[in-house]
Amino acid sequence: MNHIRNFCIIAHIDHGKSTLADRLIQRCGGVEDRDFRDQILDSMDLERERGITIKANTVTLPYTAKDGKTYELNLIDTPGHVDFSHEVRRSLMSCEGALLVVDASQGVEAQTVANLYLAMEFGLTIVPVINKIDLPSADIDRVMEEIDRDLGLDPFESVQVSAKKGIGIDDLLEAIVAKLPPPKGDPQAPLKALLFDAQYDAYRGAVLLVRLFDGTLKVPTRVRLMHSDAEHKVEEVGNQTLKRVPVPELSAGEVGYVLAGMKSLAGLAIGDTLTEADRPAAEPVPGYREAKPVVFSSIYPMATDDYEDLTKALEKLKLNDASLIYEKDASAALGFGFRCGFLGLLHLDVVQARLEREYDLSLILSAPSVRYRIVLNNDKEVWIDNPTFYPDPMSIKEAYEPYIKAAIMTPERYLGAVMELCRERRGVDTTYSFLAAGRMEVTSQLPLAEVLFDFYDRLKSITQGYGSFDYEMLDYRLGDMVKVDILVNSEKVDALSQLVHREFSRARALRYCERLAKKIPRQQFKIAIQGAIGGQIIARSTINPFRKDVTAKCYGGDISRKRKLLEKQKEGKKKMKMVGNVEIPQSAFVSVLKTEDDDDEE
Amino acid sequence: MRDATASAPGLYLHVPFCSSICPYCDFSVMHAASPARERFASRLVAEVSLAAPAWRDPRPFDTVYFGGGTPSQLPPEDLGRVLEACRTHLAFVPAPWIFLEANPEDVTPEACAAWRGLGVRTLSLGVQSFADEALRFLGRRHTGRQARAAVETALAAGFDTVSIDLMFGLRGQTAEDWQLELATAVSLGPQHLSCYQLTIHPRTRFGVQAKHGQLSELPEDDQATLFELTHRFLADAGWPAYEVSNFARGQVHQSRHNRKYWDHTPYLGLGPSAHSLAASESSPARRWWNERGTPRWEKRLAAGERPIEAEENLGPQDLAAESLLLGLRTTAGVDLDGLRERYGIDLLAANDTLVGRLVDEGRIVVSADAEGGRWLVPTLSGLAVADGLAAAFDLSLPN
Repeated sequence: MNHIRNFCIIAHIDHGKSTLADRLIQRCGGVEDRDFRDQILDSMDLERERGITIKANTVTLPYTAKDGKTYELNLIDTPGHVDFSHEVRRSLMSCEGALLVVDASQGVEAQTVANLYLAMEFGLTIVPVINKIDLPSADIDRVMEEIDRDLGLDPFESVQVSAKKGIGIDDLLEAIVAKLPPPKGDPQAPLKALLFDAQYDAYRGAVLLVRLFDGTLKVPTRVRLMHSDAEHKVEEVGNQTLKRVPVPELSAGEVGYVLAGMKSLAGLAIGDTLTEADRPAAEPVPGYREAKPVVFSSIYPMATDDYEDLTKALEKLKLNDASLIYEKDASAALGFGFRCGFLGLLHLDVVQARLEREYDLSLILSAPSVRYRIVLNNDKEVWIDNPTFYPDPMSIKEAYEPYIKAAIMTPERYLGAVMELCRERRGVDTTYSFLAAGRMEVTSQLPLAEVLFDFYDRLKSITQGYGSFDYEMLDYRLGDMVKVDILVNSEKVDALSQLVHREFSRARALRYCERLAKKIPRQQFKIAIQGAIGGQIIARSTINPFRKDVTAKCYGGDISRKRKLLEKQKEGKKKMKMVGNVEIPQSAFVSVLKTEDDDDEE
Repeated sequence: MRDATASAPGLYLHVPFCSSICPYCDFSVMHAASPARERFASRLVAEVSLAAPAWRDPRPFDTVYFGGGTPSQLPPEDLGRVLEACRTHLAFVPAPWIFLEANPEDVTPEACAAWRGLGVRTLSLGVQSFADEALRFLGRRHTGRQARAAVETALAAGFDTVSIDLMFGLRGQTAEDWQLELATAVSLGPQHLSCYQLTIHPRTRFGVQAKHGQLSELPEDDQATLFELTHRFLADAGWPAYEVSNFARGQVHQSRHNRKYWDHTPYLGLGPSAHSLAASESSPARRWWNERGTPRWEKRLAAGERPIEAEENLGPQDLAAESLLLGLRTTAGVDLDGLRERYGIDLLAANDTLVGRLVDEGRIVVSADAEGGRWLVPTLSGLAVADGLAAAFDLSLPN
């Protein structure tokens, strides 16, 4: 076990994480530069096929160190979005160490700090890596000072490299071997393996990536997933190098893949623990959370014609994303779509990004909603996650909304602003504690609904990017929700209805009205945009009509041109949605449904 | 406007020459000093003889319109030669209504007498403004005093209709300045007025200046203010509008030639850039247009060819769209029965909520004429947004 090093690379975006990973793979893989490029391409094709382009691969690298011994270096991928993902935590849990990459000219950035906090939470040993030292703008002394001052790490432990030029890679590999601790574990104990990632292979089905803490794993052991309680027979185990390489067995401390005849990822939960069916571990790996959708949103294709494509894309996505749930939905304004449930906001983002990037779809997402528990006057209980199905307020006895426990890490200087943000968002029991010098943790019990609406962007903004945020579901509590409808010339735009706490209903409605007013082109008549709760108008905004658009001259030579212009205009209108005789461009929906606070942008 | 494919066609003759090129003009024009002017009448005569056999419409023309450019830059003898050729090759009613566009500096008692002798009944004067500063801005060669004198001379010469072109929305022009222009025009007593808002076209000197931020069209609210001022002022003075930019002292002085463009009456256009429309109950409508540049137009004719640049066939959908957009520019409005009879389109039924909104907004009214025919009539604020109105209606043909 002493020859194993499990580590990940964490970095601020653009600081060179993937280039560094490529370089390490190239050095240890012992392939020629020319071949290397080809292999990377292959692997990207493979990735595309598996639909995980937003992720890097987890790879096992054989490395012969200067001490003459050969080490097994497991570079474990952390998904691109490190901020508050369950998956990231599972990945970090599988490592003993992390390379923290800092750009030699950019220096320590907000995300670097946030990443470091997270890695430290898992007790990882950190090796700072100063990258891009070949750049003329590199200022290594300053960066070393920042590593000392802002990260509290020993700058003299850092390794200086240029991933792009291949400088310092040997030193880095030696540092990985020398400075990162080997894993601990008992190969004789009952199997305890953490499922930290799973991929979908078109030919082999589910590929489980596991980190063994205890025991060994080999063919044809019957394994049991401790949380989902499913049993499977192991068909193959191995290491992921650039390709999958089968090995006779995986042992405690190792990282590798498992094939067990699973056709899809359905039913697999990241964070689950694999154990032997016949000799199960006493306890699973801690930190497991059941994947339950908590955020809901309707997804519509921007062009109605793309509905079939969206249907197919979701089917495919579901194959390798078991936690995604969806069902058919239809909106008068936006046509056919799907109501989807997500594990959280990140998951929603990832699914949207994947649908757009991998399946080339343009989408409109309705405002994210949580799932409410409604007790009706007749004491019947209903669960509502779609404003369309919100019962008549008169029939509601009590409404309950989900609360989360939010943990926000922030530098001390933003404490006041963070506390204020929590208060604004109806946070209760907001407390704080010192984690380390200058570093605070704020915990607050917040209604999840208030976190869905640009909370994260606001947090980033008030902490200038230094704040990080994680949450866990808490419970359901009594709430005062109302359904806010948006009316365009008195006609309801169903896709824009939302459930909001009464306290915020007016502000939210006004914001929607104003955004719509900015995006809906003027027409020949006045357009009234209203926010309403039932029959009561709570917000209003008006678009004044055109006063003059007619061209001065129209004689023999002008008529054809004018008609063609008219045809073009009409063509453009076809792409708009008609509500109350008002043409609403798709961009208006996009703008309104966007959660970011970008009102100043335009 | 009642579709008048059954009424007599009009003849348009384009004379591209100007003494100087105005910075706002995007018509097919060329400098009058060009040697092409010498040859022009002969070339146009050649085109008449080539075009006439292909013009199948048996009905006699009842209007001839010399437009430009500046047709008054062509000597009266040349105009006479062209008319002569037209009479030889095409059929006319006994006294067709002849229109001539003229620049104020070309208007003398002698010239007027010569034009009258050719049978010109409407003299349309490119006055543009009576203010020297505005005229300089517009690159015109005449002064305000010359403009007034030209109008008086034309009126004294006994034309049936004297028309004045004016422009508004000029740089530095206030609403008061514009009202003064209108008052001056009205006080001179022409029978017809055309008031055009300055439009900046990309491929003109003004267009280039606008691109560099040195010039711009008026803000929309100011445009609307001046537009409404124009229509109200002239209506009160006795020159009610019959189209977006055209005003006449009684129906007899409305341009019976231009109205053909707006109601799909056939017209034959000769000369560079001229457009033609052939339409009859029995055959589908077709529009074609000549080479825009005079050199190319000449070259084609010299080769013995008709100088047609392109053509299009107009299906029912196209014609219906044009009827709507053209009708909404006129005070008579859109002939709803005509749309239904010819194209099977029930415009009101297909757009009932829209029509309701537009009526509420005061943009249109639905009215009946003496024979009980229904018309969709734009109000003044409707005329001001006629382009947008045309785009708002659903004009789908019934399947």
